Amino acid sequence: MTTTSVGRPRLSWLVRLRRDRSLLLMTVPAVALLVVFNYVPLFGLLTAFQDYDPLVGVWHSDWVGLDQFRQLLGDPLFWESTVNTLYLSFVQLVLFFPIPIALALLLNSVLSERLRNFVQSVVYLPHFFSWVLAITVFQQMLGGAGVLNQFLRTHDIGTWDIMTNPHTFALLVTSQAIWKEAGWSIIVFLAALAAINTDLYEAAAADGAGRWRRLWHITLPGLRGVIVLMLVLRLGNALSVGFEQFLIQRDAVGHDTADVLDTFSFYYGIATGNYSYGAAAGLFKSIISLLLIWGANRLAHAFGEDGLYRR
Amino acid sequence: MEKGRRHMGIELNRRHFLSAAASVAGLAAAAPLLSACSGSASQTSTVNTASGLQAALPAYVPSTALKPDFPSMAGGPDVMTDPGFLSYPANPVTTVSGVPGRGGSYTAVTPLWGTVPTAGNSFYEAMNKALGVTLTMKPADGNNYNTIVPTMTAARQLPDWINLPSWWNSNFNVGELAGSQLADLTPYLAGDKIKKYPNLAAIPSAAWRVGAWGDKLYGIPCFSSGFVVAGGTFYRRDILESKGITADQVRSAEDLMSLGKELTDAKRGVWAFGDVWTYMFGAWNLPFKWAIDNGKLVNKYELPAFLDALDWHYKLATSGYMHPDTLAGDNANSGTRFYAGKELIQGGGMGAWVLADYQSGVAANPNYRRGAFNVITADGKGTPRTSMGASSSMISYLNANLKPAQIEELLSVANYLAAPYGSAEYTMANFGVEGVHYTRQNGVPTFTDEGKKNVQATTFPFLASPRSVISNPGGDVVTKDYTAWQTANVKSLTKPVFWNMNISMPQWAATADAGQAVEDTIKDCYHGKKKVSDVQAAIASWKSSGGDRLTQWMTDNVLNKYGTGQ
Repeated sequence: MTTTSVGRPRLSWLVRLRRDRSLLLMTVPAVALLVVFNYVPLFGLLTAFQDYDPLVGVWHSDWVGLDQFRQLLGDPLFWESTVNTLYLSFVQLVLFFPIPIALALLLNSVLSERLRNFVQSVVYLPHFFSWVLAITVFQQMLGGAGVLNQFLRTHDIGTWDIMTNPHTFALLVTSQAIWKEAGWSIIVFLAALAAINTDLYEAAAADGAGRWRRLWHITLPGLRGVIVLMLVLRLGNALSVGFEQFLIQRDAVGHDTADVLDTFSFYYGIATGNYSYGAAAGLFKSIISLLLIWGANRLAHAFGEDGLYRR
Repeated sequence: MEKGRRHMGIELNRRHFLSAAASVAGLAAAAPLLSACSGSASQTSTVNTASGLQAALPAYVPSTALKPDFPSMAGGPDVMTDPGFLSYPANPVTTVSGVPGRGGSYTAVTPLWGTVPTAGNSFYEAMNKALGVTLTMKPADGNNYNTIVPTMTAARQLPDWINLPSWWNSNFNVGELAGSQLADLTPYLAGDKIKKYPNLAAIPSAAWRVGAWGDKLYGIPCFSSGFVVAGGTFYRRDILESKGITADQVRSAEDLMSLGKELTDAKRGVWAFGDVWTYMFGAWNLPFKWAIDNGKLVNKYELPAFLDALDWHYKLATSGYMHPDTLAGDNANSGTRFYAGKELIQGGGMGAWVLADYQSGVAANPNYRRGAFNVITADGKGTPRTSMGASSSMISYLNANLKPAQIEELLSVANYLAAPYGSAEYTMANFGVEGVHYTRQNGVPTFTDEGKKNVQATTFPFLASPRSVISNPGGDVVTKDYTAWQTANVKSLTKPVFWNMNISMPQWAATADAGQAVEDTIKDCYHGKKKVSDVQAAIASWKSSGGDRLTQWMTDNVLNKYGTGQ
């Protein structure tokens, strides 16, 4: 994001520093947080190449090279959770991703501002619930002893065991994610919608373009940059589908259905004191994620979009 | 306090793991692995031998200071029920004459799960006066205790007195500390010498083993008990009895299964069972972890009966007798379901059978009464058995730098703190000064605000405390029921293989020992989501990926060297 424009002499580093110092100062706390909580812990990745022992510390633990990774790649449970992660990610991409866009378009077409604000607040709210609470709500409503099934039971209709059915687990967690996060995700799309020049709509309407034509030729192209950006981010995070949601429901559907890479690191690394193994699984995941985000970004650029940054 | 807590031994000095010693000391049954010592220096020093340890163990002289309403009853060797008291003594007897200390100054570190009281508060001051020493208490956060202590040992700066919970023995490398930084108490306490400290002598001999290393006494056991079990199968006694069902009618797994049919009323939202596996599988004559079969060490996973046990639990889960929320893995609300009478039978640790549980239950239903089924055998034949845990898991140690006179002074202080339940000293250490820290309400010591602030968070009993008692002032039914249950089951308690032995193992073995993948599949099986054959497959894969190697390692390094500990 350079501010120098063509034809103006490039300012020296010192001059720019003086000019931007208040802005730079304002970023210091955020950068400090990032360094302390995101960069410094990177140091711990060393343990992935060790047989790490918390008592003797990183400096004195034995180095084992790539042993942890070799063991990891030969672990069927690791591959099981990788497959689960990718599958869940795919399902969420297909079913979850379009929802906030559709919701944003719908809300945008609501004329009454009061109604719009009301609906928006209602769909936002679940974002602020913890997963524990969200899943408890689902369990109370749809669980085996929940409202729905107790109703079915008292009327001698068969029960619907959606909360414990491993075969429909991907749909369940995606609906939970939609319920909880869709409202929150519309914010960015609403902002993008607000940025579209209303003159365009008026001009198109004057030319006789109907509702759908305006949507197709004005709204969606206006949103394209943001949609691609979100898609790139989503792909980069393809291996992170969440943690608590699966941790909490792991016992409900069984570990081989619910284990994703993050819960794998937890149960087979940290929980058994096998820190290095967990670190290796985490590092492996990060490397793949980096590759994915790089690839997705390249793809965005190839389509002439900004992606994560402007080329 | 933390009995039955699962934890993992982490090998401390992996280069020397083959010399890791199994040492007689605390917590074997309830805790799968603990440490002993490791490192070449400790190889010879921390192994206890049966005869050598016997010579070091203090004599046991039971206290007669207070007559319990339900006296302790002996079961097998080292097994006895906790005495029960219905009311708190109105006039606490004094068991220590004069002031134990001679004015020395010491520091003590104890783990605390709660809010740390302010330094130099009125309770500490009153205790210092009563003890005749300046004892600076430095309680440290129990949740981070395992990371706090190693910094002190690494700098060789242990306080004069410290509590080291035995489930962290491996983290702290207590086996090695016992030879270097922790004081040897054998010259002061062995055999009849302990009689100089009558309250310490009233702690049963078995409990002293948990703090013994290399045939020498180092640790002072706190909260010891001769009746330590992982847990039991609880039931809503009020509800079952209203249907004419009593605990003695349940003699086999089949009896329990038919209770499932009788009690489940899904339309009314009532199911018979919650999770019972953890405390029930022993009924198939299964050990917690290891068994000796034809002279060979066998993991429970490999015993045929293990599959029978799984099969029964799988049937239970798929029969519709288990609460759907339990099957959905919602453990957090199991207590609420029990109180609400939505789930009538559930397994749990014995810590559930206390006054607080009674109060919560009665708040939900005035008739609330908790009961536990007796230990059974699955087929209803033969003698029921359940594995016994170690006698104490909270051990305090003195610093090796203390001079003999200082050690004697602190042992006198320990003797004060170990005064039996209901004595004047016990009242002081647990409730503080009457009128300042507590008042008597219907005879029951009840904390004042000052007491809540500074006394309620347990500190001194982590340095020394008498053997456990069952006492729930205001909830007599709890004390009566629990003591009766202990008495009825005391004969069932048996020492499991490697009882009272702390085993420290290398990481690969600890991983195999945890058997996470098998345990996960077992849980899925007793929740009806995986078949017994799936567990068999998981066990087969566990065997080839470390399980067999673990059994061999345990045979070579523990069984063949130190025996079974039974």
